[in-house]
Amino acid sequence: MTKNFAMFPIIVLLTLLTAPIIIMYVYLVLDTFSNTPPGALFPTSFTLEHWRFLIDPSIAGNVWIPTLNSLIFASCCTVIVLTISSTGGYALSRLNMPFRSFFLGGLMVLHAFPAVTLLIGIFLILNFSGLYNTLTGIVLVKAALTLPLGVWIMKGFYDAVPWEIEMAGVQDGASRFTVWRRLVLPQIRPGFVALGAFAFLEGWGEYLLPRVLAPSADFRVLSVFLATLSAPDTANYDFSLFQAVGLFYTLPVLLLFLIFQNRLMNIFNGGTKG
Amino acid sequence: MRTRTSLLGLAFLTPTLVLLILFFIMPVVFTAYFSFTNMSTSTGIGRGEYMLTDTLLRRLKSEGLSQADVDAVSRETFTVDAAGHDTAIAAGVDKRFADDILDNFAGQSFSDARDFERALRGLRSAPRSPRAVKEAARAFTHSALNTRYRTPDELSAVLTAVAPEVEEETRDLIVHRSYTGHVLTTDNFRKLASAPDTLQLIGNTVLYVGLTLAFFNVSLGLFLAILMFYLPKRASGIFSALWLLPRITPMVLYAVLWKWFTWDSGFLPTLAAHLGLPSFNYMKGSIVTAWITMICSNGFVGASFGMLLFSGALRSIPIQQIWASEVDGANRWQQVRRIILPQMRWPILFVTSYQTLSLIASYELIWLTTNGGPGSSTTVWSLSAFKTALFNYTGNLQYGLGAAMALVLVVIGLVASIFYLRLFKFNELLTKPRIEF
Amino acid sequence: MTNTKLLAAAAVILAGTTVTAAAEEYTITVWAGGTNPTENYRLDNIELAADLLEREAAINGEELTINIEKQSWSGWDDFRQAVTLAGEAGNGPNILVAGHDDIPTWSKSGLLRPIGDYIYTDTYPLSQIYPNLWDVVTYNGQIWGVPQDAEARVMYWSIPGLKAIGWSDAEIADLPAKVKSGEFTLYDMLDAVKKMQDEGAVAAGDGFAPRPSNGGDYWQFYQSFGGEIADEESGKLVLDKQAMQDFYTFFADAVDDGVVSSTYLGLPWDTWHGSVVEGKYGVWHGGSWHYAQWTRQNGMTDFFDKVQYTLIPAGNENGRANSITHPLAYLLTAQGSEDEAEIAAELIARASSPELNAFHAVKSGHLAIGEDEVNVPLYANDRWLSEASAFLPDANATPNNVNVGIFQNDMFAGLESVWTGTATPEQAVNDLEAKLHADVGDDLIVR
Repeated sequence: MTKNFAMFPIIVLLTLLTAPIIIMYVYLVLDTFSNTPPGALFPTSFTLEHWRFLIDPSIAGNVWIPTLNSLIFASCCTVIVLTISSTGGYALSRLNMPFRSFFLGGLMVLHAFPAVTLLIGIFLILNFSGLYNTLTGIVLVKAALTLPLGVWIMKGFYDAVPWEIEMAGVQDGASRFTVWRRLVLPQIRPGFVALGAFAFLEGWGEYLLPRVLAPSADFRVLSVFLATLSAPDTANYDFSLFQAVGLFYTLPVLLLFLIFQNRLMNIFNGGTKG
Repeated sequence: MRTRTSLLGLAFLTPTLVLLILFFIMPVVFTAYFSFTNMSTSTGIGRGEYMLTDTLLRRLKSEGLSQADVDAVSRETFTVDAAGHDTAIAAGVDKRFADDILDNFAGQSFSDARDFERALRGLRSAPRSPRAVKEAARAFTHSALNTRYRTPDELSAVLTAVAPEVEEETRDLIVHRSYTGHVLTTDNFRKLASAPDTLQLIGNTVLYVGLTLAFFNVSLGLFLAILMFYLPKRASGIFSALWLLPRITPMVLYAVLWKWFTWDSGFLPTLAAHLGLPSFNYMKGSIVTAWITMICSNGFVGASFGMLLFSGALRSIPIQQIWASEVDGANRWQQVRRIILPQMRWPILFVTSYQTLSLIASYELIWLTTNGGPGSSTTVWSLSAFKTALFNYTGNLQYGLGAAMALVLVVIGLVASIFYLRLFKFNELLTKPRIEF
Repeated sequence: MTNTKLLAAAAVILAGTTVTAAAEEYTITVWAGGTNPTENYRLDNIELAADLLEREAAINGEELTINIEKQSWSGWDDFRQAVTLAGEAGNGPNILVAGHDDIPTWSKSGLLRPIGDYIYTDTYPLSQIYPNLWDVVTYNGQIWGVPQDAEARVMYWSIPGLKAIGWSDAEIADLPAKVKSGEFTLYDMLDAVKKMQDEGAVAAGDGFAPRPSNGGDYWQFYQSFGGEIADEESGKLVLDKQAMQDFYTFFADAVDDGVVSSTYLGLPWDTWHGSVVEGKYGVWHGGSWHYAQWTRQNGMTDFFDKVQYTLIPAGNENGRANSITHPLAYLLTAQGSEDEAEIAAELIARASSPELNAFHAVKSGHLAIGEDEVNVPLYANDRWLSEASAFLPDANATPNNVNVGIFQNDMFAGLESVWTGTATPEQAVNDLEAKLHADVGDDLIVR
């Protein structure tokens, strides 16, 4: 930007505003490697004991099973959202059909719609279909709730693909389907990557659905596992252990975010940029 | 050709539609239906059955059913006869045992179930399993109590046999009242309209949404966006990443970070103690600090949304305008006021409207942090709906009432989002397909 | 009812049958609510019982394998939600460990099997269970559960605190009797803890530390002022406005006196337990089972030197010193086949033997469920359990009524509003009356 402005005060102001976030996350990392005596602000000794849970299941139970469950849950959500959004988005972006604008409007409504209010109704659907308390059930629900945004984002990426590509394909006598598969899909790879990362993050962090709709222990995901670790009515829970597990849980999220940061920015805008 | 295109379009759209109808539209329909029922843990969700119990009879008696009728319908008789014997055989009771019962007790009568059961247990051919003995006893027992009947007619028939002297009208009333399932009613909305805490819930919700929007999602978001606008790319990249952290951190961990930050042995109270300020559990220790915690924790997540959106809008301002103003000697504040803010009107409106809906329905973080306390001072509408329907200490889940509360939000959500669609002219986002056959 | 299956099972169990049964394998699932680490024997006893049953079968020449799947919840809200929803969806457990107060709702909705149809209560070990506990698990004349533990809820007093305000050892030792006779009331207690604060024996606001969250404990205070939860005759809930208002007023007065803060409710349990163990509080009330948590998990060693314990004192001349007992019970769910239900009921009966139940009682600080259990050495040697058992004659359980949970939630919400100062006791009682009329309709008598 322009040079006639001093940058230093802005940086200071921003740092002050951001202080709570910086403090929380710095301490999150710090506390897992150190011990702080009660009442003190700063840690006094370095230790690796809080990370023992990775190899010693007697501390917090086996952490790898929930990790695997979370991985399965988030990956399945991602695959479903990507597959369905890629066709739905194309239909809404490029294909002529009746009620197209109605569908788009409806999608926007759903996208803005507070889905958590539907929990009771969703339970009923799962109950009738026998999917309550199954991994399949919560994957489908989570995917469905992420879908309006997914379709909307894919539509935006399709909108940006030049029409000439399709025109050329159709003139060569290929069907619309072939054109979509051979010519258009490669064009929207960035969209796939961004939406995939986003859907994975959403699935990885989900807590309410697994906790309410799949409460049995068979496929406890990491978020629920972490919450049970911090059950406040037990007399002595170990906060540093909790932080260590929490950090372990958050690391994949941070990595994904760092790798796909710029692509994700578009999506966190709520997909309104088309 | 034209039809083929639209067919392909429909085919492409079908999976999306199926999922959305199943997990979005249907739940809305269910929610609407539930909100007009008295469904709860005790009625169950599915179809109810007909069961006569002591509790019901006591209730009916207090409503004016005569003692004679009560005694009649709750009568239990134990008669050992050939008919009972045949019933027992048909029910799969061991034949030797059934014969034994008939041989030993034919014509005898027993005063209560326990006596009768004891007599049967004394027989040499009695099976060892309590279940089997009780099953046999049931074949010789005539009682309408404590049995679940699928249809009203079944219970009615048994009642007629047990208590033939009871008037048909009375019998019908008893059968009607013995239904265990849910019934249609508008009581939920009446309750909501008359309950003393409804107003407080609405007040809390409005205050929470208003303050969070005003301080964080809009103001702070805009403020951050403008600050970053003036920073070099690298610095603004770092800060925007920092502000996105709360948004991408899993909710469970994020909530606990706030606990660590505000609880009595946590960072802020410890710091306050060192500085000689009042130090206690800020998250739950007082109404004011609980509110501040609730708004800040939600606001730090929400601010990034506004920040990104406004940053995008800022980038679309022609840079020449800024340069021109600098040539005129405008300082930063004048630039912001004269050039930037006037062009932010629509983005601000958009963020406000869009985030209002998200905030109205967001209870997960509040649930995990203040849990609506102290007292119910930070309980918002959506949290209360969730707790009523699905999550409370005594475990009597009131699906009906909770659904009625959710339905209010559903209606607000639908109306508001349709209104926004018109307001922001989303139709302009529709590009017409340019391949026409 | 699949009677043929049942008969097959019955035939297998028949003593002396020469039919060699095929190897049978069952998987029985057990869920327990409100279960802390010290209470693991609620589930483990079912596992031990399975082992016993397998051995018995082997002696009779049968091959029986029982796999137990167990899961516990530390809270009640999560557990009750999971049980209800899983029951509706038909993939819940076979056995539940839950409060007796869940029986009315769950039995009405068809979630439970009446366990009385599967067991004889007059054969050992069920025959030695106390009769009043059987009453607690009986609803509509049917037995729905087998009592799993008993308890008392207790008022605890800091001995150093009482000494600091001039009480002699004799006076402290005499306190339980004075409380029981009604001579020493809740308001006398307020005066005492206020004095403790003034003397500096406890910090300001730490004089009185009630239960920090919703719980059956608060019925005790309603009873202390003469309240009755349900009407004996009609079974309807009773709102005694005078008693309710006196009970609310008492807590408002406690806040006014500064012996407990207006934002006390919602205090995290671990903080509360920690403060108790550190001796920060003047008077507090909790469960008899908390003793196990303090001594086993927090390493409190000098409990009997530091703490005196009594019934919850009477509030005024209308009420009485009392305690609430909230027995948990093994319940049999409607899930699974009749054969599984029968096996599950057998397991429950075995798990209720004095020796096995004593494991649970002693480790978790709960009281014996039967007369033989008192003689199990492990139990007999535990000083706390024999002391706490003395409260049982004055303890009552909440009535089994479908709406008692709603009543409790509404009552607690009213208490919260008084406590935090958003309503006067009188307003809160009127609000409560309106809310109860809306919530439970005509299942209510207002006095």
